[in-house]
Amino acid sequence: MLRRWKERRRALPSPNILMPPEGVALTLPVAGLGVRFTAQITDIVITTIAAVCLLILLLVLDISDPQTMFAVGALLFFLIRVPYYICAELAWNGQTLGKRLMKIKVVSHDGGPLTAHALVLRNLMKEAEIFLPATLLLTLDAATPLESVAALAWVSIALCVPLFNRHRRRLGDMMAGTHVIHLPVPVLLKDLASDAPLPAAGRKKFVFLAHQLDHYGAFELQTLETLLRNQSARPASGAADGKSATVAVIVEKIRRKIGYADPVPPQDRLRFLNAFYNAQRQHLEQRQLFGDRRENKHYAQDKEESPDPADP
Amino acid sequence: MNGDDLIRSARFRKEREADWRRLEHLVTAAETRGLQHMTFAETRDLASLYRQATTSLAIAREISLDKALLGYLEALTARAYLCVYAPQQRLGGVIARFFTRSAPQAMRRSWLYILLGFLCMGLGALAGYLLYFENNDWFYVFMPSEMAGGRGPDATTDSLRSILYGHETGTSGLGAFATFLFSHNTRIAIFVFGLGVFACAPAALLTFYNGLSLGAFVALHVDRGLGPDLAGWLSVHGVTELSAICIACGGGLQLGTALLFPGNRTRADALRYAGRDAVKLALVAALMLLVAAILEGFPRQLVEETDARLAIGWGIGVLWLLWFVLAGRERS
Repeated sequence: MLRRWKERRRALPSPNILMPPEGVALTLPVAGLGVRFTAQITDIVITTIAAVCLLILLLVLDISDPQTMFAVGALLFFLIRVPYYICAELAWNGQTLGKRLMKIKVVSHDGGPLTAHALVLRNLMKEAEIFLPATLLLTLDAATPLESVAALAWVSIALCVPLFNRHRRRLGDMMAGTHVIHLPVPVLLKDLASDAPLPAAGRKKFVFLAHQLDHYGAFELQTLETLLRNQSARPASGAADGKSATVAVIVEKIRRKIGYADPVPPQDRLRFLNAFYNAQRQHLEQRQLFGDRRENKHYAQDKEESPDPADP
Repeated sequence: MNGDDLIRSARFRKEREADWRRLEHLVTAAETRGLQHMTFAETRDLASLYRQATTSLAIAREISLDKALLGYLEALTARAYLCVYAPQQRLGGVIARFFTRSAPQAMRRSWLYILLGFLCMGLGALAGYLLYFENNDWFYVFMPSEMAGGRGPDATTDSLRSILYGHETGTSGLGAFATFLFSHNTRIAIFVFGLGVFACAPAALLTFYNGLSLGAFVALHVDRGLGPDLAGWLSVHGVTELSAICIACGGGLQLGTALLFPGNRTRADALRYAGRDAVKLALVAALMLLVAAILEGFPRQLVEETDARLAIGWGIGVLWLLWFVLAGRERS
């Protein structure tokens, strides 16, 4: 039964995929509980400081007296907290100060527009889930054990709900149809294919034949891309000249695999890898345009062993 | 270098890169300044460039194997999506709609559950009332000691009367308001609503129990011939406060029913669907509790005459009823 549950779970689409109305799926990783908890703590600290300042002001002005200080404090905290969360999330498009700090954000669960109604609802539910029962828990005393236990159970159940669903939604998120994601950071790196192919004067050009490019798939290509980016990012002299041991091993491995006969001199190793990357990428992209998508170097075996009827 | 010797996906990128940079710039502007403060041309460009970027992303996924490009486009499109589909309504509009339309409509839609809530409370009160006359000791069973505040079958009639008309709460103004807000009945309302999720029974029982203690309390005063005085004392805030508990109970029952009888939906879906109205009921109840705390904190201390107390309490009750029944009706 456990295995069946696991299999069903695996068959579900990833929780990190969000489908906007344009119909192009976006990857927005679901924010973890730790990050959200930190953001929440930050917000609580901010609102508590505001409430305490106001309370001290009231005490100084002699409007409130010490006997009811706790009740007035709880009331002030409540009156500051509710508008803070709602107004902050409306003004900053689903982010409070704590969420901005942690770079997370509320999005609509079904990929549609985020509505003001959803933001109001999820923040009011936060009151019902956590804050009001917690306030009760603090104001109760030993005389009413039943209510204390009930409030404690309620808060702990509400805190546990996000653990049991894949989008880490609390009750308010479910009601409002939202969940919380990490904000992606767009960084455009230089295209490796655009600056490589100039052959230096006096050096020979690397030429690869079609059968030599049939050995690798997209995964190996992108691994090579990462390696090349790291090499060009690191200004260490040894690495830049292509003299490092790793590069040498990789060049030898590729040469042997694809059957490239000519030896590669040490100063040309990076140039060789760049040229190979270009040729390989061009080849794979061309195959992909013809409907031959090669995920990794085992593409040929996969096709022979298990022709997938569902996904031709 | 001209673009002719580049491979296809690199040419694709070269042709569109300027637009992506502009979109990135616009997205940053929208995130820091807000959509409201951008010029017309900028927002127009943001929307159209966003749609271009989604197309680019879809194409790039098919033709390009450049991991950096795919990652960048994905992140850029996601950021632009979040900007373009930001909440457009204003907070004032949401609040106005709640008061003029959605809250009264939700109340009317879930009249049956609210009736059940009142029924639970009413039956409890009746049972408490009758049980008290059968045996006075039931009072100690039903009434939480911290709420009774010295009132009970042992107390003298004069002391009961002095509490009804007295000022000896020791606090006033803001402090009293805050104390009353977090008093017994607010807790009951929160629990009644929250516990409704667990298959109705706890919510109904708690409301019934609250009715029991109310009934016993009323019976005590009627027994001593203080019935009309108590009615005045209780009406000021009680009409609003006890109705709030019943409405909260109605919301809780609605959630519990959705869990017990989900119909053709899954339980989570049914809960979410029922939650729309139930949350509105909870908000109405919260608002009523707030008003009740104000009434308890100020007019009850200031108004002494029973008639005036009755008029205030039931007048406000009628206002609530008018709001629920008349507001937000569609003109046909």
